[in-house]
Amino acid sequence: MKQNFSIVGKPVIREDGYEKVTGQAKFADDYKFLNQLYGVMVRVPAAHALIKSIDYSALKNLQSKIFIFDSNDVPGEKKIGLIKRDQPVFCYDKIVTPGDVVAMLVGEDEDELRLLARKVKIEFEQLPVLSDPTKALDKNAPLIHPEFGTNLIVHYPLRKGDIEKGFAKSESILEETYTTPHVEHAYLEPECVTAIPLEGNKGIRILGSIQNPFSARKMVALALNWPLTKVRIEQAELGGSFGGKDDIMCVLSARAAIAALKTNRPVKIKYTREESILESYKRHPYIMHYKVGYNRDGKIKAMKIDILADGGAYASMTPYVTWRTVVQATGPYEIENVWTDVRGVYTNNPYTGAMRGFGSPQPIFAQESIMDEIAIRLEMTPDEIRGINGYHAGSITASGQKLEKHDVNLLSVIGTAVDKTNFRSRWIENKNKNIIKIPTHKIKNKPSISSLILKKDEFIEPSNLLRKGIGLAASFRGCSLGAEGIDAAASYISVQPDGSVYLLCGLAENGQGMRTTYCIIASEVLGISPENIFYLEHETKIIPDSGPTVASRSTIMGGASVKIAAETIRERLENLLYLKWNIPPHENLIFKNNFVYSESDSQKKISFPELCSLAYGQAINLAALGWYPGPKVHWDEVHGQGPAYFTYVYGCQVAEVTVNIGTGEVYVDKVTAVHDPGRVINLLGAQGQVYGGVTQGAGYALWEEVDKHEGFVRELNFDQYLIPTSKEIGEIVPIFLEGEDIYGPWGGKSLGEPTLELTAAAINNAIRNAVGERFYNLPINLEEVLLKRKLRPEDLTRGSS
Amino acid sequence: MIPAFDFVQAKTLNAALKLLSGKGKNVKVIAGGTDIIPGFQIESRRFQNIDRLIDINSIKELKSIEKKGSNILIGATATFAELVDNPLINKYFPLLSKTAITIGSVQIRNRATIGGNLINNAPCADAVPPLLVYNAKIRLQSAKRTHEISLQKFLLKPYKTALKPDEILTKIILPILPEDYRGDFYKLGRRTGVAISRITLAVLVKIVDSVVKDIRIASGAITPIGIRLIDLEKSAIGKTISSEFFKDLSIKLGKYVLEITGLRWSSSYKLPVVQQMFYSRLSGIVKGMS
Repeated sequence: MKQNFSIVGKPVIREDGYEKVTGQAKFADDYKFLNQLYGVMVRVPAAHALIKSIDYSALKNLQSKIFIFDSNDVPGEKKIGLIKRDQPVFCYDKIVTPGDVVAMLVGEDEDELRLLARKVKIEFEQLPVLSDPTKALDKNAPLIHPEFGTNLIVHYPLRKGDIEKGFAKSESILEETYTTPHVEHAYLEPECVTAIPLEGNKGIRILGSIQNPFSARKMVALALNWPLTKVRIEQAELGGSFGGKDDIMCVLSARAAIAALKTNRPVKIKYTREESILESYKRHPYIMHYKVGYNRDGKIKAMKIDILADGGAYASMTPYVTWRTVVQATGPYEIENVWTDVRGVYTNNPYTGAMRGFGSPQPIFAQESIMDEIAIRLEMTPDEIRGINGYHAGSITASGQKLEKHDVNLLSVIGTAVDKTNFRSRWIENKNKNIIKIPTHKIKNKPSISSLILKKDEFIEPSNLLRKGIGLAASFRGCSLGAEGIDAAASYISVQPDGSVYLLCGLAENGQGMRTTYCIIASEVLGISPENIFYLEHETKIIPDSGPTVASRSTIMGGASVKIAAETIRERLENLLYLKWNIPPHENLIFKNNFVYSESDSQKKISFPELCSLAYGQAINLAALGWYPGPKVHWDEVHGQGPAYFTYVYGCQVAEVTVNIGTGEVYVDKVTAVHDPGRVINLLGAQGQVYGGVTQGAGYALWEEVDKHEGFVRELNFDQYLIPTSKEIGEIVPIFLEGEDIYGPWGGKSLGEPTLELTAAAINNAIRNAVGERFYNLPINLEEVLLKRKLRPEDLTRGSS
Repeated sequence: MIPAFDFVQAKTLNAALKLLSGKGKNVKVIAGGTDIIPGFQIESRRFQNIDRLIDINSIKELKSIEKKGSNILIGATATFAELVDNPLINKYFPLLSKTAITIGSVQIRNRATIGGNLINNAPCADAVPPLLVYNAKIRLQSAKRTHEISLQKFLLKPYKTALKPDEILTKIILPILPEDYRGDFYKLGRRTGVAISRITLAVLVKIVDSVVKDIRIASGAITPIGIRLIDLEKSAIGKTISSEFFKDLSIKLGKYVLEITGLRWSSSYKLPVVQQMFYSRLSGIVKGMS
């Protein structure tokens, strides 16, 4: 259905853009309060240890007043957690990862507190460290949380068809193992929160860089043993989150609240970059075994998948992250026989949780790489094999869900990407050209000196150093939370007598541009300009709990609730006009350019402000709450079957790379990203999502890795932890294929995460095309390309280069 | 965190030198601060117990880049951004220009100084290899005396130089080369922007009728500090250029680096790459000449 929109789908500049580029926007650390104190953490230099005693005697007889907080000061639950309550606000009996905090010092001088924190003497007994997730379920593995009796956090099976019969009927079988590393969100702004005790019995106000205010409220209330109403969470402008300011901000909010209530003064906690990387959670590393049975005609008959996710020290979002994995692990392909097991386990590594993509970038990297390997074995092109197996309307997913009631446009998304990049002929051309072996691949793990000195025939002529490659990856993605949890969102709209409008949604602005999207939606419905809409600050006390701002659900869920709220107002205004103009109800009234007029009689026309003034004069309620509950979804935990998500989006990215086979450098020349996000609401916002997601995805492919040594993080700042700069990535071309859907605002769905999840797989396939070799372990950094392994300082004992 | 210390902004060189000559206090000079400030943050042992920091950025004579006779004199506090834009450097010392543009980011280049890069003497100091092949000398001044030494002699070992506590590095002196030298600077980092060097190489060569008349080779990051590879240079002079010869020379470089550093965790990667890329650069220089 073609619709004529006034503003939906046009490029609209961010409503918060001017404030941000001029430095006026206030982030969490920009707020200062009278009598404010600081909180600084005390940690144990171990990854796994029993705490014997904590000696604070060095803090006695100081000139300045210092307050000490530890587990004894937590009035409510000592352990909190959004899914599983396993994370102590302050550790008391043991610590299970180096980021763990046993106490917090509070005082006026933050620098002094940092020095004093080192003087707290902690007597501890080292326990065996479990850093290898593959050993987590061994009989003699150290238990991270002994009270659970196992290191298994979660296990999701999925069974479809008859896997053994499927393999028996397959003409060929391919088995491969892929791994992905811990990844840091690398938000520009480290964690910061201030808790301010309110006078009287009004509770506590918490202002911080908080991604999910309602989650933080729940956790603080739990730790204080208070009703939700007395915990007021306010969001400051957020300097990036990418899923990363959830659990960590819950814990920090709880610590700040406890100290603020006890001292009766505002308490601010702000992390340095090092503390942020040390304590905050990461993306899950995955180890993924795929066994695929297929026939000569390209049809995949059976897929057996075994995935192990390193959940680290705490459960955090592991049960939800791995659930998305089990739903989407086959990729967007219709396969008769599927047998999947996804397990998440505890280790002493940094805990892992939500990060943009949320359990999808890992399996896509594995499964889209395997698809290309099968294509190459069958002498097909990558788009051909996907065409044979890819979802179309009516396809049945691995969990037995029939894809219907939305545009299942995977094949046209792939087709567009292939056409726009002239993919097929270039892929074939590169493949035939790239037959030079990378000489360094023969260098062994413990190299002899002579093997490091090149033989004359191993020199590569300069003209042969740079190899071009092109690769693609495709995905389907369930929108919003799915059967993971309760799915609903609220929006509040209040139109003033002068026609200006207050708007607020229960979802939070984390930098994704959601506020602008919502302003556009309300503008479209009311026929006014987005500048006339004043978006309110997010505070838990004034808007209903709309769940977390995650799962690319802002547009589809929050956007739909904004539309409902605005339509409620519009309906009331229309009813007024039907009476005033004496026209039959349901005659079409046009709301456009700040005016409202009758479609059939343009003489009947009134400006929007005049209309609002008129409505107020007649005591018409121009405030409304829009409520959008997600449609029903379902999941059978035993067989991993059910309609997991109520709708899906589809995407395909083509990466073009140049690989230097002398150095292992990979240049990303161009990425063409074709996505069906449903209806595009803000074109500029949508393009921004693609630029950012692709860049982050390229970082995942080529550079980013948090390396651990016995649970300790090596890369505590950006000199070591490398994210892509603007110089690393060439052109990014976003293309939107807007599929129809009955859900979301005018069918607007999801885009934020799909943009990231494909890029690493597409780059890996492009590298394969460039050098004729497959890589299995992210990141595909310099050493991985040249040596097919990572080099770490402990490989050989000497030196530190 | 940044410790407490006195901070003095010197207006003249003499004032700065006088402040340095005082006894009993740990006084250090700060120019761009791109090593010192991060050094404070990570509590580097090199920057502890400082009583006083003397800021020499406002001393005009330390900022100038000028031609004096057959030399170019670069003031020690000239920033890399200034080097990138300077026509004298672009004209006479193109390898240094090429180096300067690869250093850090725009923000770092706007602050970081060429003198600071030498005094810090990190193994990966990017300015060192090109300055070494240009036979740079440096001028050191104290309240008592002024003297000049070769850059190579000034650089002692990683993060150590011959700078005395009362001295300031004031000038880098570069003799202008005859026009028949060609060369290249190569840098490999883990990424393109804001990259810390893992390998740097600078080469200058004079070839007449396919015979190497002079060659200067310097390395950084692969050797403990930036050095001239004199033995390698000697072995090359008088040889006729060919792809075989370039391969031989690259293999020699590999063996030489291995000899200095021994096997390190990074050797499996760096050694083959340094040989490969040295060969590639030598081939490139010759191709560019023809």
